[in-house]
Amino acid sequence: MSVVENSAATPDVATDFEPKILAFCCNWCTYAGADLAGLNRMKYPANVRLLRVPCSGRVNPQFVIEALQKGCDGVLVCGCHPGDCHYVTGNYFAKRRMLVFKRLLEYAGLEPKRFQVRWISGAEAGKFRDTVTSVCEQIRALGPIRESGFIDTDFDADVLNAVCAPSVVSTEEATTIEEAAK
Amino acid sequence: MSDIQESLRVRAKELLESGEVATVIGWENGRFPNQTTPLITRDADRTGDLVWNDYCANTLAKYVLDTKSAGKTAVCVRGCDSRAINRLVDDGQIARDQLYLIGMPCTGMKDRATGELLSKCAECAHKTPVVSDEMLGEPTADADSATTTRFARIDEVEQMSREERETYFKTAFTKCIRCYACRNVCPCCTCRECFVDQRREDWLGKQNNLNENRFYGLTRIMHIGDRCIECGECARVCPTDLPLMELNRKVIKDMNELFGEFEAGMDATGVKPVFQTFELDDVEEFM
Repeated sequence: MSVVENSAATPDVATDFEPKILAFCCNWCTYAGADLAGLNRMKYPANVRLLRVPCSGRVNPQFVIEALQKGCDGVLVCGCHPGDCHYVTGNYFAKRRMLVFKRLLEYAGLEPKRFQVRWISGAEAGKFRDTVTSVCEQIRALGPIRESGFIDTDFDADVLNAVCAPSVVSTEEATTIEEAAK
Repeated sequence: MSDIQESLRVRAKELLESGEVATVIGWENGRFPNQTTPLITRDADRTGDLVWNDYCANTLAKYVLDTKSAGKTAVCVRGCDSRAINRLVDDGQIARDQLYLIGMPCTGMKDRATGELLSKCAECAHKTPVVSDEMLGEPTADADSATTTRFARIDEVEQMSREERETYFKTAFTKCIRCYACRNVCPCCTCRECFVDQRREDWLGKQNNLNENRFYGLTRIMHIGDRCIECGECARVCPTDLPLMELNRKVIKDMNELFGEFEAGMDATGVKPVFQTFELDDVEEFM
């Protein structure tokens, strides 16, 4: 994976916030496009983490909710242009699903920019760079998802897991947890 | 209504005694006044307990999945039950010839506590069964006109600001106790093993918190949205009164706008729901 550190990404921005963006990339197009962007030494923000999937049709809406709730500030789903799917029809199904799902998330209160879908082919390294850059800037402007109110921040899964399963917690850890709880 | 109740009892007895059906599903009086509960019986003598009144709220269709192994099932159907039956037949859950549908002329059911029309019935535009083997009585003229339009509430919620909607649904999902009653009652939820019951796959934890409740709630809608027959049972059975139909109908409204008008369960002709098919010229927003 060729992710180029973009030193120009941060200085212009007033805040220190670095968004974490998860990009589901189709193995046959966007992933190759990202690779091409790397080969061409294109610069794009390092805030994006690529997650390779066999097809945009593989992206279950649950993946998106999970990513957002686990603290990804934005989710990007990228697949082949309609008509170019390696599996012929996968992205058509993905399109229908994501059209509806995006509206549902927005209806439930998510900021629209936090979940985006784009078709990027293996040859479109420039489009990949532009998309990632613009998504990154949009999310940066929105701020961290933990402060947006969409996810439950009162709840700390790790602490709760430890409390629920005391047998696996050592005495020192338990003391630390108790102190943290105070 | 009492003459329909009487003919229902007579027909149910005939069907069971002649051996035409193995099981009859209808309603009987519950423990409380103005409350009914489903009656599922193979005993012809029990058919005298069948009732038909303003409080037959439960949708019966899903019970046929529990009785199909015993043979043919006779089930009372109103509009919602009949659409649920179509749904089950289309989903390959039961064969139509394994069912005998007794059509009931429904005019909407009432809330036990308030005596008002149930909201699911007020929004229902198909109270007359869309499929039945026989009808008991004639459907009334105004049975198939809804008193409130089904997307009225969705429009209201859409008009709220994003922050208001966020708070609205956060409050709702915080109240969810994840009893899964909405799943159990849903005629579209027929997976043998639901993702919420899978422990090793780790789709969904067992803790009750906003994140996991919302994960469940939104996933449920994505699983059933395109097949939802809008019976409103999920919202009716919800012990914490979550606005579940406001989420279901949002998806249905969007699908209608994006992919053309479609009402699930109106017939069992095998027309594929939205997510199971596609058109080459579908709306494009992701270019």
